[in-house]
Amino acid sequence: MTLADTSFRPGELEVREDGTGNLIGSRCNSCGAHFFPVRRACSGCLSADLETVALSTEGTLYTFSIVRQSLPNFEVPYALGYVDLPEGLRIMGQIGGCELDEIRIGMAMVLSLEPFGQDQHHNPLTGYRFTPVEAQDD
Amino acid sequence: MTDVFVVGVGMTRFGKHPDSDATELGAEALLEAIADAGIDPRVIEAAYCGHVFQGMVTGQRILAQVGLAGLPLANVENACSSGATAIREASLAIRAGEHDVVVAIGTEHLTNQFQGALTPDPSDPEAAVGATMPSIYAMRARRYMEEFGMTREQLALIPVKNKSNAARNPLAHFRKAITVEDVLQSRPIADPLNLHDCSPVTDGAAAVIVMSDKAAKRYGKGRAIRLAASSLRTGSVDVVPTSMTFEPLTANTAADAYERAGIGPEDVDFCEVHDCFSIAEVLRVEGLGLFAQGEYPAAVERGEANINGRLPVNPSGGLLGKGHPLGGTGVAQVVEVVRQLRGEVGDRQIEGPRVGVAHCRGGKAVGIEGAACTVQILVR
Repeated sequence: MTLADTSFRPGELEVREDGTGNLIGSRCNSCGAHFFPVRRACSGCLSADLETVALSTEGTLYTFSIVRQSLPNFEVPYALGYVDLPEGLRIMGQIGGCELDEIRIGMAMVLSLEPFGQDQHHNPLTGYRFTPVEAQDD
Repeated sequence: MTDVFVVGVGMTRFGKHPDSDATELGAEALLEAIADAGIDPRVIEAAYCGHVFQGMVTGQRILAQVGLAGLPLANVENACSSGATAIREASLAIRAGEHDVVVAIGTEHLTNQFQGALTPDPSDPEAAVGATMPSIYAMRARRYMEEFGMTREQLALIPVKNKSNAARNPLAHFRKAITVEDVLQSRPIADPLNLHDCSPVTDGAAAVIVMSDKAAKRYGKGRAIRLAASSLRTGSVDVVPTSMTFEPLTANTAADAYERAGIGPEDVDFCEVHDCFSIAEVLRVEGLGLFAQGEYPAAVERGEANINGRLPVNPSGGLLGKGHPLGGTGVAQVVEVVRQLRGEVGDRQIEGPRVGVAHCRGGKAVGIEGAACTVQILVR
C-alpha cells in the first residue's frame, strides 16, 4: 500500500516518507504531564515550558462504538474508539484491521497510518486508525 | 446582596417550525414572559440572549420585534448551555446591583441547520476522525455498561420515561409514549444508542424575567420563585484521563450551586437535566449527587425517577421528549422548574415540590471533560 506523505492534520499527525508516523503532543518539562493536541501551557502545573514530542503508538482500548450515521464524508458503518496511551493520554481514533464484531474493551491497539480522505484539490491524505495488535501479528 | 427571583416565564411549542425563525420564536417566548410577569415591558432594564447557530445579533432582532430599544444586551454562546448562561448573566447583573429587572432569552431554529447528528466544530481533532455527538455518548454508554452492568433494556427505560412525560406536555416535540421495544427496534445511530436514545433536532425558544428583591416585591404578586444559585463551570483539562462514566464537571458545578444555595442534594425534590442522550441522564443525575454512581439505572427501573416517584427527573419530557433547540433548552428547563414549583403544569404536576434543579451541559473541545456546564437551583 502506498501512502501519501501529506498528513490529514499536520499539526497532530506526523507522516514520514517510509510510511511510518506518530501523533504529536506536548510534554511538560516541569511536571512530566502529556497533552494531545499540542498545548501552550500545562494544565497540571501551569508551566509554559512544554516540549513537542512524538506520542506512543501502542495503547489499550478504553471504549468504542460502531457509528452508523455520520457526516457525508465518512462512510458508515465505522468503528470509533478511545485508546489509552502509556503517557496518560486518551486518544480518539477509528478502529480498523478487524471485523466490527471482534472489537472489545481492553484490547491492545497500535497506531496505523492509512489513507484518510483528500484535500481540496483531491490529493490523497494520510491519517491514522488504531488496529488490534493481534491483527498485526497475523 | 439582593436575592434573585424569576417572576415571568414563557416558551413556544418545541418542535418543527418550518414557517418561523429564531427571531420570531424568541419574540413569542419573550412576549409570553412579559405577560406572565404582568409588567409593562418598559420596566425591563437589560437583556441576554443565548443561541448557538442563529448568526449575529439575534437578541437585538428579537427586542426590535417586541418594540424594546436602547437596552444593554449581549448575545451569549456556550453550546447547549447558551440559554442557561444567559440566565446566569442576567442573575449576575441583578446580584451586582446594576439592574432590577432583566430578561434572559434562549432561542434556536435548528431544523433549517441540521438534518442528522450534530458534530463538534470541524476544527476539533476528534471531529476530524469521525466523532459525532451520538458516538461520543455511545462510547460512554458502552463503558458504563461494562463497569456497572447496566443492561440495554435499563438504558431504554430512560427515553420511555421521558417520552411518557412529554406526552403530557402540550409544548413538547414528541407527544407519544413509547415502549422499551420501540427503543430497541428504532434505527441504530451509534451502537449501543438507537434513534430513540437521541434528542431530536428541534426549533423553539423560551424566556424568563428575573428581578431583584425590590422589583419582585413590587411585581411578583406572590408568584416569584427564588433563583438560589446559577453556577457555571468549564471542564478542566485532563492531566490524566478520567473516567468517562462519571462527570467531575457536573459534580463541581453542582457543588458550587449547592454551596451558594445553602442546600445539599438531599434537599432536591425534582430536576430537569441535560438528557441529550439516554446515557447522559444517568451521568448527570449521578454527577449531581442525586443517586450514587452506578445506581441510577436500577432506580429508574423501580420508578423512582417518575413524576410520582421519589425524585422525578425530567418531568417536562427532557431533551429526549420535549426536544432540544440548543439555545432554547436551558431557559426552557427553568421555565418548567418554575411552573412545577408554582403548581401550573396540570397532569404532569409533581406533588408539592419546594426545590428544583436545572442542569445543562454542552459543547466539546478535545482534551477537556466538557465545555460548559450550568446548575441552577430554584426554591419556592
